[in-house]
Amino acid sequence: MVNAVTGVLIECDTTVKAIIKNLDSKHHFIVDDLDDTHVFIVSTWVERLKSELERLLDENAYTISDPKDPKN
Amino acid sequence: MNSIGPSAASQKKRKLSDAESSDEDSDVQLDSDLQSKLYVPRHANLDPSSLNSTHHGIGIEGQKDFVSHIFGNEDYTWLPLKSDHKSRPLWISPENGHIILEGFSPIAEQAQDFLVAISEPVSRPAHIHEYKLTPYSLYAAVSVGLETEDIIEVLNRLSKVPVPESITKFIRQCTLSYGKVKLVLKHNRYYVESAHPETLQMLLKDSVIGVGRVYRDENDQITTEQNSALTVSSKPTGKDLTIPGVQKGKDTKPDGLNEKLTAEEQKKADEKLFGAVVAIDKEDEDDDDEAEQVHAFEIQADHVESIKKRCNEIDYPMLEEYDFRNDTVNPNLEIDLKPITVIRPYQEKSLSKMFGNGRARSGIIVLPCGAGKTLVGITAACTIKKSCLVLCTSSVSVMQWKQQFLQWSNIKENQIAVFTSDQKERFSGDAGIVISTYSMVANKRKRSYDAQKMMDFLESREWGFLLLDEVHVVPANMFRTVVTTIAAHAKLGLTATLVREDEKIDDLNFLIGPKLYEANWMDLASKGHIANVQCAEVWCPMTPEFYAEYLLENTRKRTLLYVMNPRKFQATQYLIRYHEERGDKIIVFSDNVHALVEYAKKLQKPYIYGGTGQQERMRILQNFQYNPIVNTIFLSKVGDTSIDLPEATCLIQISSHYGSRRQEAQRLGRILRAKRRNDEGFNAFFYSLVSKDTQEMYYSTKRQQFLIDQGYAFKVITNLEGIDSDPTLVFKTKNEQLDLLKSVLLTNEADMKDEDLHEMDDVGRITDRKVAAKNRLPGLVRRTMTTSKSLAGGDNMAYMEYSRSSGGQFAKNPRGAPGASKEHHSLFKKHLKRK
Repeated sequence: MVNAVTGVLIECDTTVKAIIKNLDSKHHFIVDDLDDTHVFIVSTWVERLKSELERLLDENAYTISDPKDPKN
Repeated sequence: MNSIGPSAASQKKRKLSDAESSDEDSDVQLDSDLQSKLYVPRHANLDPSSLNSTHHGIGIEGQKDFVSHIFGNEDYTWLPLKSDHKSRPLWISPENGHIILEGFSPIAEQAQDFLVAISEPVSRPAHIHEYKLTPYSLYAAVSVGLETEDIIEVLNRLSKVPVPESITKFIRQCTLSYGKVKLVLKHNRYYVESAHPETLQMLLKDSVIGVGRVYRDENDQITTEQNSALTVSSKPTGKDLTIPGVQKGKDTKPDGLNEKLTAEEQKKADEKLFGAVVAIDKEDEDDDDEAEQVHAFEIQADHVESIKKRCNEIDYPMLEEYDFRNDTVNPNLEIDLKPITVIRPYQEKSLSKMFGNGRARSGIIVLPCGAGKTLVGITAACTIKKSCLVLCTSSVSVMQWKQQFLQWSNIKENQIAVFTSDQKERFSGDAGIVISTYSMVANKRKRSYDAQKMMDFLESREWGFLLLDEVHVVPANMFRTVVTTIAAHAKLGLTATLVREDEKIDDLNFLIGPKLYEANWMDLASKGHIANVQCAEVWCPMTPEFYAEYLLENTRKRTLLYVMNPRKFQATQYLIRYHEERGDKIIVFSDNVHALVEYAKKLQKPYIYGGTGQQERMRILQNFQYNPIVNTIFLSKVGDTSIDLPEATCLIQISSHYGSRRQEAQRLGRILRAKRRNDEGFNAFFYSLVSKDTQEMYYSTKRQQFLIDQGYAFKVITNLEGIDSDPTLVFKTKNEQLDLLKSVLLTNEADMKDEDLHEMDDVGRITDRKVAAKNRLPGLVRRTMTTSKSLAGGDNMAYMEYSRSSGGQFAKNPRGAPGASKEHHSLFKKHLKRK
C-alpha cells in the first residue's frame, strides 16, 4: 500500500530552519529534513508556518512608534 | 509618527519592557511623612491634545487629494501656510505640541536657542529637528524669565503656519500660574516675590499663606500691625555678577550679558536679511535693563515649607532663587577658579542661564559625557562661594570630584572633606566643601557612630549650594530623601542623559528645578569639544546549533547563548585585531561576567569586573594607559561610568543590560573624551555586536534610540570583510563550536549568579538589601577606598607579588591571598612599620 502525501519544498536560512524544526517538535509537519537550508513539509502547513514565522521573528523587532508605549 | 494598532506582537513587547524596567526600581522605601512633603502641581500632567477642540475633521472632507490617504489622521493640509513661509523655519503640530524645525534654515540657530528654552528636544539629527512642548518645558521657560505672550509671539513669528489655537491655549494654561511667584532668600529672610502685585494679594488672602507673613515697620522691626502694603524693589539683574572663568574680551560689558549682546548684534544683521525674525533675547534683556518693579512680602522661615506646599496645591509653584551675594549669615567660602581655567562657550551659556538675574536658580544642566560637567559644577560653586555639598554616585567619583576641585580651583585641601564609608572628615573653618555619595546620605539603616555624627553635621547646617552629579541614575525615592533632608539654598543637577526607563525623570523637575540647559551633542562634536563617533551595529548570525538551543532554553540561558555565539567571538576578535593594527586603544564591554571572562581568556586580554581587586585594577588600567603592548581591555559594568580612560578610542559592546538607553549613552561617553579627538580626521568607533534573530536585536534597537535622537547614525554591518580568511580565527571548526556550546549549556545557575552582583552600581548596591547581604558572603572581594599611603604600602605591608600568566592576564589573587606580607611573622610588623 502506497501512502501519498503532497508536500512543499522550503528553502530557508539556518536560523529559520532551526525555528521550523522547533515548531515541528510540537506539531509534526516535516516530511523529510533534507539539509541545512532545505526542508520538505506537508503542503497544508505552508500558510500556518508563514504566519508563525512572521510572529516569531517579529518579536525581536523594535517599533519606535508604538502608540501605547509610554517611553515615547 | 504614524503606526498601526497594537498587535499581539507589540503587546508582547510591552511585557518585555515592563520586565526590564524593574531593575531600576530597587529603591529605598519612602516614609509617609516624606511622601506628603512632595507634591507635583496639577497642571504638570496636562496634555495638549485634551485642549484640542476645533478643526477636527474639517480638512478631511474639504481638501482630499491623491496623497491624503498616506497621512491618515495626520493630514494637516487645512492649516494655512503663511505667504512667506519659506523663510520661516518651523512648523507646529496642533495635535500634540510637537514642533518640527528645519535645521538647515539660515535662522535655525536662533530658533534652536529659543526652542531649547521653551520645549524638550525630542530628536536632533542633522537636518530636521523635533521638539515637544510640555508643561515642564514651559515651566522651565517661565523660570528663566520668558513671558507667556513673548513665547506665543516668537513662536508665531518663526512658524510657517499660524500657531494653532490649541497650542496657544496650552501655553497660556501652563504658564498662567507657573513662575509667577518666587521664593527668594535674601538678607537671610525669606520673601515671596512676584512682578504681579495682584497675584501676591491673592496669595495673601489664602489662610495658610497669610499666617506666615511677617510685617515690619519703618525701622525694620517686626510689628504686629497689619498693613497690606508690599515691599517694592527693582528687578534683580545679573549686571554686576561675574561668572569666573569666562574669558573677557575687549568688551567690558558685564559677562552675563556679553553673550546675549553678541547674539543680538548678530540677530540685527540677520533681521536685515530676513525681515521677520526673532528677538527673544532682546526682549529678555529689555526687561533686565529697565529697572522693573517687583513686589514682595516677607514670610517666616518656619512657615516656608507649608507655604511652598500650599502654593503647589493652588497651582502657583514657587521658583526658588538664592540671592547669595546678600546672604550674610552663611559664611563665605574662599574659592575661585584658577586663573588658567577657562570655560567653554556652552558651559558659559549653561551657567548664564543659572545666574541670569544675579541670583542662583535651582535647576538641571544636561551636557554629554566628557563635555566637562564637573567644571560647570565647580564654576557654579565658585560663583556662589558658600558652603557646598557635592553628591555623586560612587566613592570612585567622590575622589574624582575632589581631585577636580583641587585641579581647577584654588581651594585648599583642608577645606574639602570627603564623606564615604571609609573616610569621614570634616573641613576646617566654618565654610567648606563636602563630597559624598547619595547612598551615604540617604542611608536609613543604622550607621556607625562616626557616620551618624557626620550626618548630624550635614543635616544641622545650611548649605549654600547642593550639587547633584548624575541625577538621572539615583533611585527616585533615595533622591527625595536627600533633597528633603539637606537644607540647601540652591540646587544644581548635572546629567548626561535625562532619560530613565522608569519614567521618574519628571519628578526631578519639581524636586530640583527646571532644566536650565541642554546641549546639542552634534553641535559639540562638530566644534571639537567631544569626539566624533562612528556608530555601528554588527549583526552576527547565530550558528544553527546555538540557535536550536536558543529556541529551547529559558530567558536566562538565552542571554548567555546569544552572547557566547561563536560568530560573535569571531567578530570581536576580528574587530580587535583590525583596530589594534590601526593603533586604537580598545575597550570591550560585557555585562555578563561569565561571558566577559570567557572572551578575555580566549582572546588573551586583561579584564576587570566587580570582583577584581583594587590593586590589580589599577595595574591593568595603568598598563592600558601607558603600555603600548596592552591595547585592549575587557570591562564589565563597573566600567560604565566611574572609570575615566581618555586613551580609549574604540569601543566594542558584546553584551549589555537589556534595553537601557542610559547605559548605551554612558558607554558611548567613555570614548567621547578621547584625547586624540582634535587630530585631523579623527574618529572614535562604537560597535555594538548583536546576534541575529534573537531578542538582542530588539533590545539593541531600543537602546540606540537615545543616541539616535541626539543625531547619531548607526550603520548596520552584516558582513565583516575578510573575516573568514584569518587563519588564527577562534572557533573555526564545527567541533570547537560544539565544545563551546556544550560548555555554555553546562554553565549552571551558580555561574550566572555572578551577574546579579554587578547589576547594581554603587548606589543600588547599598540600597538593595539582598545584594548587600550577598556582598557579605565570604570569598568575594569587595571594592574599598583607602588612602594612597596604604595603597602604596606605606602602612604595614612590605610588598606584594603578582604572577603573570603567559596570556598577559594577571593572576587573580588580590589582597589577603597568601602573599609576601603573610610570610612575615607578626613580630616583624612593628619593626617594619617603624622603618
